[in-house]
Amino acid sequence: MRALILMIAILSLLPARGSELLPKDKPIQQIVDHYIDELIKDQGAKVAPQADDATILRRLTLDLNGRIPTVAEWKEYVESKDPLKKEKLVDRLMSSPAFTRHQLEEFETMLAQPASGGRRGPGGSREYIARVFKENRSWDRIFRDLLLADEKEKGSSDFLKARIKDQDRLTNDVSVVFFGVNISCAQCHDHPLVHDWKQEHYYGLKSFLARTFEQGAFLGEKDTGVVSYKTTKNENKTARMMFLTGKVIEAPGMVPDNETKKGGKAGKKNDKDKSSPPPPAPKFSARAALADVALQSDQRQFFAKNIVNRTWHRFFGRGLVTPLDQMHSENAPSHPELLDWLARDTAENSYDLRRLTRGLVLSRAYSRASSFEGDRQPDAHLFAVARIRAMTPMQIATSLRLATTAPDQFSATLKADELDKRIEGYESASRGFASLLEQPRDDFQISVTEALMFSNNDRIQKEFLIDAKDRLIGAAQAFKDLDQAADLLLKNVLVRTPTADEKKAVVEYLSARKDRPLEALRQVVWALLTSAEFRFNY
Amino acid sequence: MVSRKMFCGSPDHGVSRRGFLGAAGAFAAMTGLDVLQSPSLAAEMKDKQKRVILLWLAGGASQLETFDPKPGASTGGPFRAIKTSVPGVEISELMPQMAKRLHHTCIIRSLNTRNGDHGSGAQIMMRGRKDEAALKYPDLGAVLARELGQADSKVPDYVSFYFATEGQSFAPGASGFLGARYAPMEMYKSMIPENIARLPGISDLDHTARADLRELISRRFNHYRTNSTLASHNEAYSRVRGLMASETLFDISKESQATRDKYGPTLFGEQTLVARRLVEAGVPFVRVGRAWWDSHGQNFETHHEMVPELDHVMAALIDDLKDRGLLDSTLIITLAEFGRTPQINASLGRDHFASAWSMSMTGCGIKGGACYGKTDALGNKVVDGEIGAGDLFATIYSALGINPKKNYYIGSRPVPLTDAHTKPVKAVLA
Repeated sequence: MRALILMIAILSLLPARGSELLPKDKPIQQIVDHYIDELIKDQGAKVAPQADDATILRRLTLDLNGRIPTVAEWKEYVESKDPLKKEKLVDRLMSSPAFTRHQLEEFETMLAQPASGGRRGPGGSREYIARVFKENRSWDRIFRDLLLADEKEKGSSDFLKARIKDQDRLTNDVSVVFFGVNISCAQCHDHPLVHDWKQEHYYGLKSFLARTFEQGAFLGEKDTGVVSYKTTKNENKTARMMFLTGKVIEAPGMVPDNETKKGGKAGKKNDKDKSSPPPPAPKFSARAALADVALQSDQRQFFAKNIVNRTWHRFFGRGLVTPLDQMHSENAPSHPELLDWLARDTAENSYDLRRLTRGLVLSRAYSRASSFEGDRQPDAHLFAVARIRAMTPMQIATSLRLATTAPDQFSATLKADELDKRIEGYESASRGFASLLEQPRDDFQISVTEALMFSNNDRIQKEFLIDAKDRLIGAAQAFKDLDQAADLLLKNVLVRTPTADEKKAVVEYLSARKDRPLEALRQVVWALLTSAEFRFNY
Repeated sequence: MVSRKMFCGSPDHGVSRRGFLGAAGAFAAMTGLDVLQSPSLAAEMKDKQKRVILLWLAGGASQLETFDPKPGASTGGPFRAIKTSVPGVEISELMPQMAKRLHHTCIIRSLNTRNGDHGSGAQIMMRGRKDEAALKYPDLGAVLARELGQADSKVPDYVSFYFATEGQSFAPGASGFLGARYAPMEMYKSMIPENIARLPGISDLDHTARADLRELISRRFNHYRTNSTLASHNEAYSRVRGLMASETLFDISKESQATRDKYGPTLFGEQTLVARRLVEAGVPFVRVGRAWWDSHGQNFETHHEMVPELDHVMAALIDDLKDRGLLDSTLIITLAEFGRTPQINASLGRDHFASAWSMSMTGCGIKGGACYGKTDALGNKVVDGEIGAGDLFATIYSALGINPKKNYYIGSRPVPLTDAHTKPVKAVLA
């Protein structure tokens, strides 16, 4: 039985034959729904209905622009009778500069993450990514730039430089970020659970990176150098330059590096001297060889599937392969054909992530409700119910500011570029507060430290609960009628039609505190901002 | 093709630890009673809950001036060794009070932890192993917060005091892959934790009412949604009021002057007294950092000043826990990132030394009076019973009744609490 399961698992990782996949010319969203619905039907699972307009608007605005919608945007969207309003919304959000800014946040986190344990750092290559996203540079090019680290591509060397002091970390981070494979186990022994990953894979990948060294402010690459390692049986081995697929590159200079042998590492003397000149380029670049082999049409499955899986995870809260760094034969994807189709489509369309993103968010699978009223919750891997996702620190901080700004600051007549400029200002102002929050990950647990901060730190009061005229509480003070005030508060924070119960609860809360109306308003807004609903992208 | 179940199903974790305290804990949780005020509840918790106070000797205390003296040897230094309440076991004369109480304590004299760097040494001694490139291990406090704490606890599960500036950055509490839920409440400056006190602008009644409104508004959203992150959000807010009530736990003016006098007026003494208040109220893990033992110069002056304080505070803590009937359920650990060289350098100092050093444990699960391992005549190397950090952690977990081989899961990968080749030192376990 075990052997059979294993065989099925291995078969599933083999690239499905092209002829079996649905045709290339179909829109991505149709393909997504075809494969997702097929498995749901197969399992006889129930499906959540499509989410309502307000939820879709909020989800898309958070996912594509990194913030909640304004009340004016909400009204316009729910009142529109245009049958193509969702496509138009997606296109509007994706053509906004806010899309690029949010994309930058997401990618910076992804690139920085493994090394810094979820925190930002220079390894996120923010400067470089910010520039190339503006010109919509393709993902394969970005990958190549980050590996080549050419100083002419300003900032592209940050990814390597942040990790060069620890080559094992560098090796594993490259593997996790670009190929979806965590091979750190294979550093010390053949992977105990995954037969794919042997020590020779780990050291094979390390061989591409081990000739790289730091000299002053620059990176250099030697023409010679091999990696040797000890097996668990204490044999000494010399690694071949081998990619994860097992493909070996016949590289020149596969001999131990002489200078290292003598005890003086190349460039070591100048290590600290930031004024030392850049070392000469090697005749053969092992890092360029890695970029080449990883993108070859018969070798690119790891690279292509990884970025598809990560993009999918971003919008669905769970990868087709999960966890994201465990792409191997014993951890089959939930939808192998879908992953293959999307990987092929993405690779053949020059790794255009905008195209992929647009297709994913236009699927019905993406637009389902996140609540499920049936009695048996379908398994998460079926994507039959939308998964709620904790907002990222920047999403929360920007949204908090937006939710606590008076609605008249965002009138329906405000031009798109003016709105964006204002929001960009909020984003800059939000960075400090965002740094106090934790970056979510799979199985994220919200800490009591966060709850205590929201409950008792005066920063919350000063940044979000002030009663200036242009802020929410200032606007609410203008209403003598508590009904109207409650309506305003609920709509501005939750950006949907409040229920009668909610309104009643808020009105009661306010009217019980008529002797201290400002405090009462603050407390209601606090309760809304700290509600589960506000904290999540649902 | 359905991928096999990859995660250990984190919603279960909360459930498995819930009910740990049985009826007493649940009752206390429901009513928000201050456990300290209710002797019968405190008594029941006493029976069941285990906890740890770690006295962290940051910078590296000398084994030769504490638990493994070498009087008369060229490396021995000026201090004598004295007899203890355990026949045949002698410790430094700088610890006369502990000498009288050594029958409660075990000493391990054979640590070889192979890392003489403050930062990575401290990480190894707090985590029991070195981090991997892509895997950050939780430290002892985080693991015990998870193993011994309650999901919906009214008190913090991991509190760490470290006021000194020296070495503060070397081993901050780290919950590693366990995540922020088990991260420590770090006390760097103030004896009262951050954000635990109500702001003056809101009354206590309104503070509670506003939390109730928050819950009411969240209820609609929680309905028909099952998700462990969502559950953690609601759980975090539900713990706020309890934690705020625990503010008094940090206030030693609630203790009698007689008790305060026993611990002494030093910062280390007062923080240790807070630690005792915390564990008594059910906090599973408290670290009290005492710095800075890094005596590269004038080792003997440094230890002449610092060891008697350690001796005094340890003795006071043992007596106090014993008086309160808590010593059997509380494990006191004294540990550093490493010890100090037997060789005395030109500045009359001792340098970093990780290959033959000592630590002690007292209380819960420990065989009092046990003395394990031996170093050679000069103290240069371990000649008997050598253990590493992993073995020490396996011993600590065993003393607390936790299986050191228990697995956590990172995706599909099982990660045992201690590495595969490690084993507990049975000789010091009760």
